[in-house]
Amino acid sequence: MKAIEVENLCFSYNGVKALSGITFSVDEGEFIAIIGPNGSGKTTLLRVLLGILKPEVGSVRVFGIEPWKESEKVKSLIGFMPQKEHISTKPPLLVKDIVLMGRAVRKSPLSPLSKEDMRKAREALNAVGLDDKWNTKFSELSGGQQQRVLLARAIAVEPKLLLLDEPFNGVDIPSQERIIGLLDELSRKGVTAIAVVHNVSPLIHSIDKILLLNKDLIAYGSPEEVLKPENMVKAYGAVIPIIVCEEGFVHPLFGDTHG
Amino acid sequence: MADIPFYLLRAIAAIVLIAINASVAGSFTVFRDISFLVAGASHAALAGAALAIVLETYGIFSMNPIVGGILFAVFTAIAAGYASRDEGINTAIGISFALSMSLAVLFISMIREYAARVWSLLLGDLFLLTNEDIVLMFISTLVVVAVCFLFYREFLFISFDIEGAIAYGVNATLLNYVLLSLIAIAVVVTLKGVGAILVFAMFVAPAAAAVEVSKNVRQVFLLAFLIAMISGIAGLGISFFYPVSPGAIASLFASLVYFTLIVVNRRG
Repeated sequence: MKAIEVENLCFSYNGVKALSGITFSVDEGEFIAIIGPNGSGKTTLLRVLLGILKPEVGSVRVFGIEPWKESEKVKSLIGFMPQKEHISTKPPLLVKDIVLMGRAVRKSPLSPLSKEDMRKAREALNAVGLDDKWNTKFSELSGGQQQRVLLARAIAVEPKLLLLDEPFNGVDIPSQERIIGLLDELSRKGVTAIAVVHNVSPLIHSIDKILLLNKDLIAYGSPEEVLKPENMVKAYGAVIPIIVCEEGFVHPLFGDTHG
Repeated sequence: MADIPFYLLRAIAAIVLIAINASVAGSFTVFRDISFLVAGASHAALAGAALAIVLETYGIFSMNPIVGGILFAVFTAIAAGYASRDEGINTAIGISFALSMSLAVLFISMIREYAARVWSLLLGDLFLLTNEDIVLMFISTLVVVAVCFLFYREFLFISFDIEGAIAYGVNATLLNYVLLSLIAIAVVVTLKGVGAILVFAMFVAPAAAAVEVSKNVRQVFLLAFLIAMISGIAGLGISFFYPVSPGAIASLFASLVYFTLIVVNRRG
């Protein structure tokens, strides 16, 4: 079964086009990066996959289920990592509170957390290399550590599909490498991972495909197929230099655009 | 016990109930960063109370002004929550604030001879509470605490990360309305004791002070309760011996605790 099947998806906010004619599919266990300029519909696409937004036209299936129609079913298969800018550090939550959140709200109200819940949360925190931060206040962690805690929360629910919205914003290189390594490992274990990113370069060695978006689907395929000058001009309206690293992977140089 | 006058017992009971509301609903107000809702809901309550008195005066319908206040405050909270899907919630609350104050002035102008009953809500008085007021405050507090206890995990999730909460299956839209409504109810309970003007200090300051120094969420609830309780008792104690408003002293005390903890925390 395909993890994701999207056919001719269109969506608009109050008449303003956000996504148009999007068609693609993702196999189980694939690791996909979604890239595109600001306002290209990347986060909107994630929200449609989550069942938060209803497609205006077209069909979307996640493991054969339509997210909008059977939202609860789809959400139970997904681990989600939001943009760090969208979270509030006002409540003095501990790391353990956050890692356990996803599991806690999937239980009926007042039913206590089980030993299994605690073990899975511990394992997830261990996987992101922060097992010693279990009782630390979330607001006292660095930006990179906070992102890793949010990833641990997503992993702790044992998802079949991981959706990550800008997982590397404000993240230092060691945390970035740790997150990528873990996503790579999860993908090899059969977890499908989709990450919305601005700069795809750090992920190039690990991902299977790139989805290049600018409201329309500009290109979808392997990094070599997608990162072509004509596609980049179509998406970004500028020439973005592409280099090939020692291992033979293509990398776009996003900081060096030419109009 | 027999020597303690009933009005004092009622005032002490009100302080306990206000402290519980300031702890439970006040903390979620600070966590959700929607303190302005306290001002919006309290002024909406004035309009609701005024309408209740208008209806009673014209012999149309009779109800306790607090019930009218709660209905209007909850309506304002839900309207602000609905409008905030497009605008920021503070803009929506601000507009609701203006709407409810216009209605309050309009209703008060219709009941000039009884307007003092509405104005008493503006300033509040712990010593003038009736048994019926205490019963209503108790029932409202029970509702606030029970629902917050039932949806504790969901409310915390929404306060931390509303988008994540939706993604993990929380009905965040509905529960956000529930939380806003509970905050509005708790504001009216507090308002009855300290008045619409001072409710902000008594409701937000204890939780905001507690957040500054607490190491976890449970500590915030406990500390906010203690600050509100001590502030209330201090207000009551001082006003018992000197002719000053107990609500004003309590609010002054709670605000000073907040600013003191801010200074101590930043220096530490």
